[in-house]
Amino acid sequence: MISEEIKKKIRAIVGAENALDSKDECFGYSYDSSFVPLAEQHIPDLVVMPRSTEEVSGIMAIAHEYGVPVTPRGTASGRTGGSIPDNGGISLALHRMTRIIELDEGNMMVTVEAGVRTIDVYDHCAAKGLFFPPDPASWKYSTIGGNIAENAGGMRAVKYGVTSNYVMGLEVVLPDGSVINTGGKAIKNVTGYNLTQLFTGSEGTLGIVTKAILRLIPMPKLRNTIQLMFPSLDSACETIHKMLVTGVVPAAAEIMDKISLQAVSRHRKLDIDPRIEACIVLEIDAESDANLAKQAEQIKAIAAERGVQEVRVAASQQEVDDIWAIRRGLSSAIGAAAPNRFGEDISVPRNAFPETIRRIRKIAEKYDLTIAVYGHAGDGNVHPSVLCDLSKPGEEAKVHEAINEIFAVAIDVGGTLSGEHGIGITKRPHIEKALGASGVNALQLVKQAFDPKGIMNPNKIW
Amino acid sequence: MKKADTNACFTEVNAIVSQCDRCGSCLTVCPLFGEKDIESSSARGKNNLARALVHGVVQPSDEVLGMVNFCLLCRSCVDNCPNKVKTDDAMIALRQYFADKNGGPGAKYKALGLLMKNRTLVKLSAGTCNVLRKIGANALLPNGVIPSEFTRRQYLASFAGPAALGSAAPLTKQNVSQESKVAYFTGCGMQMLFPDAVAASLAALRTVTTPQVVDNHCCGLPHLAHGQRTEFLELAKQNIALFEAADRIVSDCASCSGTLKHIAAYFADDPVWRERAAAFSAKVMGLSEYLVQAGYTPRKGGDAVITFHEPCHLGRGQGIKKQPRELLQATGRFVEMKGSDRCCGGAGSFHLDYPEIAAKVLEKKRSNIEQAGADIVVSECPTCLVQLQKASARSNGKFKVMHISQVI
Ligand SMILES: Cc1cc2nc3c(=O)[nH]c(=O)nc-3n(C[C@H](O)[C@H](O)[C@H](O)COP(=O)(O)OP(=O)(O)OC[C@H]3O[C@@H](n4cnc5c(N)ncnc54)[C@H](O)[C@@H]3O)c2cc1C
Ligand code: SF4
Ligand code: SF4
Repeated sequence: MISEEIKKKIRAIVGAENALDSKDECFGYSYDSSFVPLAEQHIPDLVVMPRSTEEVSGIMAIAHEYGVPVTPRGTASGRTGGSIPDNGGISLALHRMTRIIELDEGNMMVTVEAGVRTIDVYDHCAAKGLFFPPDPASWKYSTIGGNIAENAGGMRAVKYGVTSNYVMGLEVVLPDGSVINTGGKAIKNVTGYNLTQLFTGSEGTLGIVTKAILRLIPMPKLRNTIQLMFPSLDSACETIHKMLVTGVVPAAAEIMDKISLQAVSRHRKLDIDPRIEACIVLEIDAESDANLAKQAEQIKAIAAERGVQEVRVAASQQEVDDIWAIRRGLSSAIGAAAPNRFGEDISVPRNAFPETIRRIRKIAEKYDLTIAVYGHAGDGNVHPSVLCDLSKPGEEAKVHEAINEIFAVAIDVGGTLSGEHGIGITKRPHIEKALGASGVNALQLVKQAFDPKGIMNPNKIW
Repeated sequence: MKKADTNACFTEVNAIVSQCDRCGSCLTVCPLFGEKDIESSSARGKNNLARALVHGVVQPSDEVLGMVNFCLLCRSCVDNCPNKVKTDDAMIALRQYFADKNGGPGAKYKALGLLMKNRTLVKLSAGTCNVLRKIGANALLPNGVIPSEFTRRQYLASFAGPAALGSAAPLTKQNVSQESKVAYFTGCGMQMLFPDAVAASLAALRTVTTPQVVDNHCCGLPHLAHGQRTEFLELAKQNIALFEAADRIVSDCASCSGTLKHIAAYFADDPVWRERAAAFSAKVMGLSEYLVQAGYTPRKGGDAVITFHEPCHLGRGQGIKKQPRELLQATGRFVEMKGSDRCCGGAGSFHLDYPEIAAKVLEKKRSNIEQAGADIVVSECPTCLVQLQKASARSNGKFKVMHISQVI
């Protein structure tokens, strides 16, 4: 519980209308897009919606003084419960910090506040021919602060990397309210520890990102889309592997298994051959038509050698849209295929992709569950989606057991628990399996150094 | 309230809201979240509040009812949702739950429901509105409840192009078969607030058919939206019986046509009414939908630049998007405005309950109309027209507002 005195002090900083404390309003800040059951959602005592770094700093100073837990929140599209205020206290919603402060075309960098939506960063820069590549599927509504806290990746990660590859510097409010700046616009920088990278992916447990300097690259002039349909999963994965080792690097390389494909086929009333075991959707980009065409030819040849059944190189924008509709429609198709579903996120070495999928299939059989598998094949990020009906007795426990086994597979093949969604609450029980006790201890020492009172997004990661 | 009813209501709500993945896609499209960016304003917030209510984590309270009422029922969220979660239906069901629990929907909605249920009162109100308008007293009422109407006569006088100067363009000849019996469904809002548009709709219909004017009852949407489901069903039955002889039922109010088309769903489990309701709903058409199908040739409208505001209940509600545009393109200089399908903030009585937020939602619409450079904004729903009239006033008359039947 937060005392009236503390609330009064916080309201004096942000204004009464920007601090909600009615239980029913606060309920809206007790969940994110993870599968944390209703009973385990924690309602904050106060929701505070600051508009500036100064306000954030003031709030943290008060929270620090009184030992009040603070959980940062972007737009709560996170998949692992990161923005759920597990200990109550303050939910610090940063979605009103939406200023794009500077687009520095000369240095090819943009400085933005944490609450700016990812798509707005992209659009703002694209208008000047500059490209901000990280594109989580949630980019229309997730915030840059959330992306940085989760080190979000996206479809373009194969060629362009993930959020951390573009964060040059941060403004961070530490748990005691002090404000620090890390990194900056200098491209080379070895002055002190690399705190920029430490905060990126720290899931809001070390401090609050209020501003970020992001690196941009020139916008690729041309792009096209290719769809490849394979009668075998192995040949699909080998095709991607061969492409990458021969230097044909697509901007995106998405893979969908048969269950995913059939779900889309039913949902969108497409006529996808049921013998197809895997579909790959590729985006290629280039500076010239000749190069674009050359890449397409190379990909076609590699796929043909591996028994591709159907190849479609988009010849118009309509075809591009049609091909991507299969991939983009996946989430809703899978959602419609069963009353409930658990979408997971593991990351494995690229060449372990086929084995991982095979082992997931076995798990599905063992538990008599349907598990659709898709993912960013180019970077080994697998998204198994467990389709289920939680109203059936015993179903939920079964699903959790199956997911635990999937995590074990990921670690066994040399991969890890999360490629992009982070650990948050939902994967907390598994972190030690991934990092070992000493590994977790090392993380905790870092946490202790920044947040000795343990007020910053407590009970996350471990 | 009977326990069984609560269970049925909660089962219905739960079936809808348990589909929500809390992804947040709807945050970007909900016009209310766009103005008041706190979670409970958004579809995600409402669905999860409903989920908590159904599971007993949140208790029913006036505050929760307030959140349930704070929804335009515009369906933008549904359209954009990967799981097609029907937030609007969940909110309607919860309003019913609260109304049953509290012994009615609250005095204001009760009075409104009573007025709309009574044909004589609706007619009387229509007369009163007209009198108020004639003596200019409508302007004195708050929130622009009774707007001044911009009539076809005024439109022709101020916007007619050189070719049409002096007289109205000739009307098209009838080009559909006379065999289908077409009935006109008079919406209460149209009758009370836009009599000139009613006349224009009938005139347009007369060019392609011989419309019957049936002394119909209210479509029941106001009742349904505010927890008076019994009244809604009663009105529906009366209307079903009244229109049994017609082959087509045409309404120039998107809310009416949308509601009437959906009536069948409410009787799906009723052995007595199921078939009659299904036959009734199947006959309903929106005005522009009917006119296009009947091959209506729009009149030339002169040189005014016209844009279209797509009512939620027409576009998202019935999928009628291209017909009104086709008609308008044929009539003159049509321009598509940005965000034409975004709710104007009217939403039945929402604009009366939450005038400040409704005004903010409307402000974006006004700016889009002005940016489109339109002289006239056209729509097919009386509540939209009321809202748009306010936008017109705010723009100092840069554009006028008319029902589609008045310009085509
Ligand atoms: C449909 C869907 C698709 C998705 N696709 C992808 C994908 O392709 N790739 C991917 O990587 N992720 C994906 N995600 C997950 C999620 O969208 C990302 O993790 C996103 O970056 C979260 O941003 P947010 O603003 O919603 O953050 P939130 O969910 O609000 O918060 C996430 C974490 O960041 C912390 N946090 C938020 N803002 C700050 C801040 N300013 N300072 C410090 N900590 C902060 C929170 O405390 C929390 O721990 C997807 C989610 C959904 C629902
Ligand atoms: S878009 Fe649909 S699933 Fe996503 S949060 Fe909104 S209502 Fe829920
Ligand atoms: S129906 Fe409209 S106002 Fe209501 S939640 Fe959906 S988008 Fe928002």
